[in-house]
Amino acid sequence: MSESSVNSQRGRKLADFFSLGGATGPLIGLILLCAFLTFATDSFFSVRNFLNILDQVTVIGIIAVGMTFVILLGGIDLSVGSVLALAMMVLGYLNVEAGLPMGVAIPAAIGAAAVAGLISGLLITEFKVPPFIATLAMMSIARGLASMITNGSQIIGFPAWFNMGAIIRYGGVLTMTVAVMFVVFAVALLFQRYREGGRALYAVGGNPEVARLAGINVNRVTVLVYTACAALSGLAGVLLAARLDAVQPTIGIAYELDAIAAVVIGGTSLSGGTGGIGGTIIGVLIIGVLRNGLNLLSVSPFLQAVIIGLVIVMAVAAETFKQRKA
Amino acid sequence: MTKTLKALMAATALAGMLPVAAAADGHAGIGIEKIGLAVPNLQADFFNQIKLGVENYAASLGIEVITVDAKGDTATQVSQVQDLMTQGIDAFIYIPAGAAAAAVPTRLARAEGIPVINVDREPDGEPGDTVIYGENVMSSYEVCSSIIERAGGSGKMVIIHGQKGTTPEVQRFEGCKMAIDENPGVELVAQQWTQMWSPDEGFSIGQNMLQANPDIKMIFGQADGIAMGAAKAVEAAGLADQIVVGGYDGDVAALESLARCDTPFVVTATQSTQAMGVLAVNSAIAVSKGASVPARQIPNAVLTDCDNAAQFVEKHP
Repeated sequence: MSESSVNSQRGRKLADFFSLGGATGPLIGLILLCAFLTFATDSFFSVRNFLNILDQVTVIGIIAVGMTFVILLGGIDLSVGSVLALAMMVLGYLNVEAGLPMGVAIPAAIGAAAVAGLISGLLITEFKVPPFIATLAMMSIARGLASMITNGSQIIGFPAWFNMGAIIRYGGVLTMTVAVMFVVFAVALLFQRYREGGRALYAVGGNPEVARLAGINVNRVTVLVYTACAALSGLAGVLLAARLDAVQPTIGIAYELDAIAAVVIGGTSLSGGTGGIGGTIIGVLIIGVLRNGLNLLSVSPFLQAVIIGLVIVMAVAAETFKQRKA
Repeated sequence: MTKTLKALMAATALAGMLPVAAAADGHAGIGIEKIGLAVPNLQADFFNQIKLGVENYAASLGIEVITVDAKGDTATQVSQVQDLMTQGIDAFIYIPAGAAAAAVPTRLARAEGIPVINVDREPDGEPGDTVIYGENVMSSYEVCSSIIERAGGSGKMVIIHGQKGTTPEVQRFEGCKMAIDENPGVELVAQQWTQMWSPDEGFSIGQNMLQANPDIKMIFGQADGIAMGAAKAVEAAGLADQIVVGGYDGDVAALESLARCDTPFVVTATQSTQAMGVLAVNSAIAVSKGASVPARQIPNAVLTDCDNAAQFVEKHP
């Protein structure tokens, strides 16, 4: 699409862009949650706290973008947490142990993650392994490899600027890591709306056979999506390494569940074909705001776990109820 | 609608600032009003005991405690510590989750200029104002010496470690190794590491070790949860008569089990967990007043078996 045609369509498309599809329910939920927390605590409604929340959702937000694509396709990726750990350990090994510059270590870490996704994708398309099983296997393999790199130990000693990228707020607003998350969100939204590949996801997720007959190379799309999802997990791993200023192979356990929860809360159906990135971003914010708010309210850690579970159930039940009525 | 909402939000935000400003002026007396406590994992009784120690003692002084539980995840802990800072805590009691990321929460607290009291684990490269941890090396030496003696001074031994690379894991192995080296008849045939110091890990690792080496005579689990899990595996294998199990920490459940004297789990080192909580609060008060505290405060653990477990069940040190 040329620059000028984008401009001419901007007015109409802009409304379309922010319409969020089926995510109005989650958006209302998010607003209500924020309103409640604003009244219930002294410290929730402040710029500083909102920036904190953005910091806190960066990793899960980026993983959830990849997970949304996979779930739109009707698949699932259980390996994202382990792949994130693998990318972090590769990064730590190359930068700290092998002494390579970040310019080499970061692409290599994301590349290692992408290879893991490529393998999952090929297992699913070429060997007809169900996505649940293929990525379950990759979850175990990637975790094992991550642990083997240092025999289970952590790595510290990154260059000072690396951690500063997650701490310093440029212009008083954005840390480098949050900026990267915004770029990922923007690119994913644009891709889903305007690129042929983005539309293909819905077609394949809705009905793979029809999509194939319509001339979409379903296998190629599937492999690319799992590769992209893993690469995004790798990117999230790099950002998490910056935030923690350290890497360890046990990091990221159960992150796949957080990411799936965010996607589902955002209104994407686990059976594929409906939903999208806009809803997922809201789902991520709901989880982030909820965790932050419960901490600010000093809710006991035990009760927090119960509340988060209830919110997931409520969000999904409300969405199902709405669809049944429609 | 949106405008009213915004106005309401803004009004609340303004109203919210007032009490905070008032609180900032009220720093007389003890010197602190609100303590943030970050714990790695409240499922572990050891951390729960420290939490109780901090909370009960702080309550008696009229200090509010906000506790956050990282559930073993370092990234979660960093987020939670950010939230603690937002709440305007006056002192930060910090037990790092996992082996990594110990430095970042300390930096966050330093940026706020509040005291940082470390408990149990030492941050790498970013020390707090003081660190309070149970003495590990000598106490685990005593536990291992005790199980070696009970097993007759020789035979095959296995160790089930805690989370690899954490301070207690490293030091408890160091102490136990001293006891093993003193007894040439003792052979260390296998070692495994747990992720969470948990009983189920202790059980499954113990079971596998017994499968590989059915003639083991001694097991050292680096935490009571691990040791009790391993002891269950010993009972399940029908080897309760030939194996003695040693633990560490003096968890409430472990002390109750020891007091009954009817399992292969026979000895532990009871840490003064509640006292450590009290010490942490006192240190926070001292540091905020500008008094100096020792860089390291190391309460001893007490060797505990069937004979003296009951008294610790009555009142945990």
